[in-house]
Amino acid sequence: MDDVDEVFKALADPTRRRLLDELFARDGQTLTELEEGVPMTRFGVMKHLRILEEAGLITTRRQGRSKLHFLNAVPIRLIHDRWVSKYAETWAAGLSGLKSELESEPERVEEEDDE
Amino acid sequence: MSDSQAVVDGTAMAVFETYIKTTPERLWEAITDPAMRAKYSFGVEVRSDWTPGSRYESSVPGVVEIATGENVEVDPPHRLVQTFTALWSDDVKAVGESRVTWEIEPVGSSCRLTVTHDHLPAGAHGEVYGGWPMILAGLKTLLETGENLDTPGSLMYAEASGWER
Repeated sequence: MDDVDEVFKALADPTRRRLLDELFARDGQTLTELEEGVPMTRFGVMKHLRILEEAGLITTRRQGRSKLHFLNAVPIRLIHDRWVSKYAETWAAGLSGLKSELESEPERVEEEDDE
Repeated sequence: MSDSQAVVDGTAMAVFETYIKTTPERLWEAITDPAMRAKYSFGVEVRSDWTPGSRYESSVPGVVEIATGENVEVDPPHRLVQTFTALWSDDVKAVGESRVTWEIEPVGSSCRLTVTHDHLPAGAHGEVYGGWPMILAGLKTLLETGENLDTPGSLMYAEASGWER
């Protein structure tokens, strides 16, 4: 199976996306801490974490007696580079330029002086 | 990027990892050669003589200073430990000195590249360590396909610096 297939498969589950959100909010959590965020048995959470780790979406580190889980966004960035930016980023860049232009204060358009 | 990180011994850390189909030697070169580095880091070049204890400077020449620090451990093509002080804005300068460890481990016909950014103060500004996924994804794409990223974000500084892809 291709790496990208594994990433999409791992992301195609609400509990696993929730676990990634938990790590985004606070990186480096233990299994016990992650269990509190999802309504599921310890075994269920372990199973989901293993799928996320196999897809490269999380990495783990031993710290004394506990195992810490870290969000690894590199595979998501690869998907972004391949599947998102091509279709969306040119537009997004244009739109964010429009947004800052519209939100800039009118007098700044007339006065070129620095603040 | 995230709101907070693991706090270990009072400091925070973040860990990034990717598998790249290449040799450790080629990967080491991509990390330490200024021209190759610029191709996947938004035009940011890293200059150093890469001896243990030497300094390094990373910048988009003539545009923006990015970071500076010491090469604490230099063991090509396996391990590079650097201190890291971000310089691109007042917010990131305020974070002060942290540590970046690059580890290359051959796995079959590929290498596992791990970047650990630690010794960060708890609650450190996310920008300081938030660029690694973009950089590692760009590095993997460059080494595996020979292609530079040409998305608008990856060309952020390229035009300003006159840097040629």
